Amino acid sequence: MSLDVISAILVSGLVLGSVYALMASGLSLVWTTLGIFNFAHGAFMTVGAYIAWTASDQAGLGYGLAAGIALSVAVMIGLGIVLERVVVRPFYGQRDFLLITVMSTLAAMIVLQKGTQMIWGARLKQLAPIVPGKATLWRTTISAQETLIIVLAPIVLIALQLFLSRTRTGRGIRAVGQNPDAARLIGIDVSRLFYVTFALSAVLAALTGILLGSVRLLTPQFGDDPLVKALIIVIFGGLGSLNGTIVAAYAMGLVEAALTYAIGIYWTPSLIFLLLILVLLVRPQGLLGKVTR
Amino acid sequence: MTAPDTAPPAAADTAPDTAPDIALDVRDLRAGYDASDVLEGICLQVARDERVGLFGPNGHGKSTLLNTISRVIRPRAGRVAFMGEEIGQLPAQTIVARGLVHVPQANRLFPDMQILETLELSAYTPRARAAKDETLDRVLQLFPRLAERRRQACKTLSGGERQMLSIGVGLMSAPRMLMLDEPTLGLSPKLKDELAEAIAAISATGIPLLLVEQDIAFTLSLVDRMYLIDHGAISREVGRSGGVDHQEIMEMYFGTGEGA
Repeated sequence: MSLDVISAILVSGLVLGSVYALMASGLSLVWTTLGIFNFAHGAFMTVGAYIAWTASDQAGLGYGLAAGIALSVAVMIGLGIVLERVVVRPFYGQRDFLLITVMSTLAAMIVLQKGTQMIWGARLKQLAPIVPGKATLWRTTISAQETLIIVLAPIVLIALQLFLSRTRTGRGIRAVGQNPDAARLIGIDVSRLFYVTFALSAVLAALTGILLGSVRLLTPQFGDDPLVKALIIVIFGGLGSLNGTIVAAYAMGLVEAALTYAIGIYWTPSLIFLLLILVLLVRPQGLLGKVTR
Repeated sequence: MTAPDTAPPAAADTAPDTAPDIALDVRDLRAGYDASDVLEGICLQVARDERVGLFGPNGHGKSTLLNTISRVIRPRAGRVAFMGEEIGQLPAQTIVARGLVHVPQANRLFPDMQILETLELSAYTPRARAAKDETLDRVLQLFPRLAERRRQACKTLSGGERQMLSIGVGLMSAPRMLMLDEPTLGLSPKLKDELAEAIAAISATGIPLLLVEQDIAFTLSLVDRMYLIDHGAISREVGRSGGVDHQEIMEMYFGTGEGA
């Protein structure tokens, strides 16, 4: 293997890993706090990107990318809250909460996806890049936008970690995830922090969509593949461990890049699942996971 | 209000409004899980300068009562007033903000959080935050062992240390009244003594106390008065004035034939 190939695998692995880490961290946060898998997380990514496109693109409102991002973030906060209220909250405290919310968030995903198709149509769209042009990393040339993704992902993830470990709201979110009753008894408004968590996770998904929306093409199914990957990553990294999720995201990115080079894009997804099964056979709790959440 | 009745002190009071010296006033409280009622009309009062014990066999509703007062579970009927204001319809976090703080039984708290982090977070309500640094010093002074282990995760604590942390967490919430649910559950006699001292010190600062306990000696060392809870109702009340009489306790323990 030449250095060019190694460079290409590393760089494209880093891009993928960054995207997955951003996507999976929101999913992981919702899992640890509310105890559900949000299957609409991919649709959040899609809708967030489309809203940014509508506000920014000349074929839409044409207000520019900054306005697009701002509007998208604002709408996604609202959408996150509405979704929690409508498809999660009614089932809280029920015996089969996890299974019910698998179905209800899947339903929400389908509604959002079909809604996207109705509003924006099936024609492919693409966001303008935040930074245009190309950049060379080591021996590989990629778009400047992909470089931005590599740089921005760790910054966002560190900010998320600081928020969770240092701020009152962030610590409250962790407390709610670890013991909601004890959290109530120190005066935490658990419902409010569920909203905050869902809104935060929706914004993370939208941000992923906006960053990726100039690298890939926007379709109503734009978020499907990242959702599936993020689900694998959250399980792979260990349920309930945000650090595990982040490590697993980058590992997955690199493995996917290497496999794509070695055996091509056709068999790579199957092999990734096979790998997941093998890892879970040896470590049922995931890479850094604990036995319970 | 005379000396202990032999009859249950059921909803005998006709005046619905609470006397000004009453901290906690519970009237005809009913609650339960699923189809079964656990509390079948509880009435009890705790005065502002009082320490009250709640005593009774396991499974007769002591913890359910505290959980209902603090609104971890929803009451089915009845009224709860705290410091003269109705709180029965308020959500749990508002009740804590008002100063009625419940330290639940065998609280495992937040397993992956550090001790210090947990204590700091527990000063969550605005009133508690205002006094945070001061209270933290006091808690660490009261329980030096928590100070030693401040960077450890909650899940690494021993049973006794966890009890201390639970009480510390309760103090951080700036209580105007404390409800403690079996603080000595599973502890050694030496640790029980330590905890009894700490609880006495807390209550000496003028915080009224509602204490649920199985250990009768422990309870006696701390309270002015005691209720016996039996099949979800208060069946007896002892020692309103002049301390608690040991003879009465034995009767509570073994029954006098009339309560059953």
